[in-house]
Amino acid sequence: MAVRADVTPYRADWRTGRVASWLTTADHKRIGILYIWTALVFFVIGGVMALLMRTQLATPNETLLTGSAYNQAVTMHGTTMVFLVIVPILAGFGNYLVPLMIGARDMAFPRLNALSYWLYLLGGIVLYSSFFAKDGAPTAGWTSYVPLSTLHSPGVGQDLWILGLHVLSISSLAGAINFVVTVHNMRARGMTWMRMPLFVWTLVTYAWLLVIVLPVLSAGLTLMLLDRQVDTHFFNPEHGGSPILYQHVFWFFGHPEVYIMILPAMGIISEVLPVFSRKPIFGYKAVAFSTAGIAFYSLLVWAHHMFAVGLPVGLDIFFMLSSMVIAIPTGVKIFNWLATLWRGNISFDTPMLFALGFIAVFTIGGLSGIFLAAFPFDWQATDSYYVVAHLHYVLFGGSIFGIFAGLYYWWPKMFGKVLDERLGKVNFWLFFIGMNVTFMPQHFLGLLGMQRRIYTYDHGGLWETYNLISTIGSYMMGLGMLVFVVNVVRTARIGRRAGNDPWIGDTLEWYATSPPPPWNFERIPFVTSARPLRDLRRRLAEERGF
Amino acid sequence: MRRVAIAILVTSATVLAAAAVAYADTGGLTPPDPHSPNASRINDAYEFIAIFTGLIFLLVEGSLVVFVVKYRRGRRARTAEGPQIHGSGRLEVIWTVLPVFVLAAIGVFVFYKLPGIKDVPKAAAADRTTITIEGHQFYWLFRYPNGAVAIDAMRAPAGRVVVEKITAPEGDVIHSWWVPRLGGKQDAIPGKVNTTWFRTNDVGRYEYRCAELCGVRHALMNGYVEVMPKDEFDRWASDREANPTSVALGKEEWQGVCQKCHALDERVVGPALRGNPLLADRKGIETLVRNGRGLMPAVGSTWTDDQIDALVAYTKRFAKGGSSGG
Repeated sequence: MAVRADVTPYRADWRTGRVASWLTTADHKRIGILYIWTALVFFVIGGVMALLMRTQLATPNETLLTGSAYNQAVTMHGTTMVFLVIVPILAGFGNYLVPLMIGARDMAFPRLNALSYWLYLLGGIVLYSSFFAKDGAPTAGWTSYVPLSTLHSPGVGQDLWILGLHVLSISSLAGAINFVVTVHNMRARGMTWMRMPLFVWTLVTYAWLLVIVLPVLSAGLTLMLLDRQVDTHFFNPEHGGSPILYQHVFWFFGHPEVYIMILPAMGIISEVLPVFSRKPIFGYKAVAFSTAGIAFYSLLVWAHHMFAVGLPVGLDIFFMLSSMVIAIPTGVKIFNWLATLWRGNISFDTPMLFALGFIAVFTIGGLSGIFLAAFPFDWQATDSYYVVAHLHYVLFGGSIFGIFAGLYYWWPKMFGKVLDERLGKVNFWLFFIGMNVTFMPQHFLGLLGMQRRIYTYDHGGLWETYNLISTIGSYMMGLGMLVFVVNVVRTARIGRRAGNDPWIGDTLEWYATSPPPPWNFERIPFVTSARPLRDLRRRLAEERGF
Repeated sequence: MRRVAIAILVTSATVLAAAAVAYADTGGLTPPDPHSPNASRINDAYEFIAIFTGLIFLLVEGSLVVFVVKYRRGRRARTAEGPQIHGSGRLEVIWTVLPVFVLAAIGVFVFYKLPGIKDVPKAAAADRTTITIEGHQFYWLFRYPNGAVAIDAMRAPAGRVVVEKITAPEGDVIHSWWVPRLGGKQDAIPGKVNTTWFRTNDVGRYEYRCAELCGVRHALMNGYVEVMPKDEFDRWASDREANPTSVALGKEEWQGVCQKCHALDERVVGPALRGNPLLADRKGIETLVRNGRGLMPAVGSTWTDDQIDALVAYTKRFAKGGSSGG
């Protein structure tokens, strides 16, 4: 049951210390902040590995990294960004925001929520301990295809990778169940499904997708572990196993995972655009249902990662068509966002810049996805830098831009201070220009014939030019991240205090104080539309008018 | 701020475009200049899709820029609301249905091109050569119908249909065979045979690469397809077949297989090899390449005895220390 605001629950003295209170907290807001900080630290680490790789590839025959070190960086960069940055930071936003947005006092299971966070941290530590293992971190890529990851990765690193991911998937599963239960049961009076903030829509979809696909990942990881440790032959063709089976299992999880990473970012965009355009979201129902549509179809497209393995042509055709179908609800979202801007009163604060940047670059990632769905062309592009470009347009231009829009947007709510706008804009432009300079030439590299995951190349000419440009772009993004860190420190010291509602928002979190008290709201208002705060403001204005 | 950013964007785009035009081909704006009907049909599909995605790109980015400029706040109050429009059923239908037609058009075009890309064209036996391509850590092995063998340089006849049977030995890992100018890639999977093909009249060298991460030397699994005039190819193939233990093959094996991880005088992935008596020890070398040892994979698991003889015929010159080798 919800905690009554006038009753302070008993807390042992030792739990009230500055550190201990964070270690023992079960408050969804504090857990959300822990998630976000941890994920940001991993983002910096994963980013440094990316910069190392880009430095290695800046010129032909570079020797900064050995092949093995490069493969470790490839594997850990990908694994980190997917499992330790994007998925958990979205869980962090969800933790912080879902109860506030639906007018609840906490998540349904606060202690389970704390467990999810600590398992996330544990999973990350297990994964990173592989750097200290004999033979170092895993080298088989974040996809860890067999038999490379079974018969040909003798070190303990691969086992720690499996173990780390097992722990992380338990963490995510517990967190996802918590989100589902919370959203289904704890919405404020009057908040029907059609009045729920769109971010909550995407987060509950994210949670459902995790519940559906994580067990499949766990099964695949377990089979891999058994093949490695007790000589079973699930994936070993010498004894009748099938390496392709692993790819089916992995991508049945892995493709929905892409949407798990992008849908909540889209939800953030759907919150930010209306507020800074001073309009309601255009086509609320279309945006909400397209979220569900994308989630459904995301379960039917996994083998488009496998067009080159030689599936029966009928399957290739099915997966091409299902992948193309996903473009339709995605397009619906983009068109509705554009229509939201139409005739608006657009302010260019940093959250809005990231949201607009999201539309600009995510569109490019979506369109290159249509090329890749056409499997005869995919035979050229798959496993080349074209795919690297595509996935970073979606995951950096999409997810990360969405996340930064969210950070700048909700920072005042979380910490009571507004991030510096000037530094924020520098941050945005370095990211926006940097990501295009980095990843646009990678499309061309892929089409020129550069395959992915190579630690060196000996071509001069265009290969060298594009690679060098790409590396310069990656440094710009690195600089952008530095600016963000400076901004965070500066804001903590001398930042402008935010009121409850610095952006004149529409949703319930802006009704609470900044930061909100442990019980969130003194009184939870009755929700009369998808924009309860605007309703309140209008009612106040009317009362004053009379 | 924004003006500076736009200036940087425009400049870098111009530099990129200029650099692209300055070089051969299309500079990576399309897949490389095709030299086989399947590759050129893939390019057709690419260009067809590019027309539609290009238009959608212009539509979306164009309206984004126009809206951002036209509906910016300017001197209006931050709180001033735009018209409270909640949506339009008609528009939703339009932008749901129109993309269906676009995707249908793309689908129809791709399926129309598909048989010409995927199906091996019918050809009389004399006009067809089947080559088995084995992906190994970290080299490619080519087997010809007459028993000839080559490593890391695939000779192929001009003007004939070349059928590529792509596989990897059981116990190896997955690789991916990719000759960009002669068609798309197919994975080389242990225990599975994939088929693709090409046909070209253009004599010359076509670079190939391994596209699937296959281990520490993945980046070095490159080489070229050498398309030769038919009679020259036939001569080469029968010559290889007649001399199955030739030093020429031994040298290919040494360079393509051993030297991916070993050098003569310095440690690379594996130890330096000069002066190693194993290099002249037929039996020892056979055990090593057939079974691997420690981190070294079983690089020769599918080799014939002749292939091993060919290797020793070449490597024995390095077995003695000093500078006698080369």
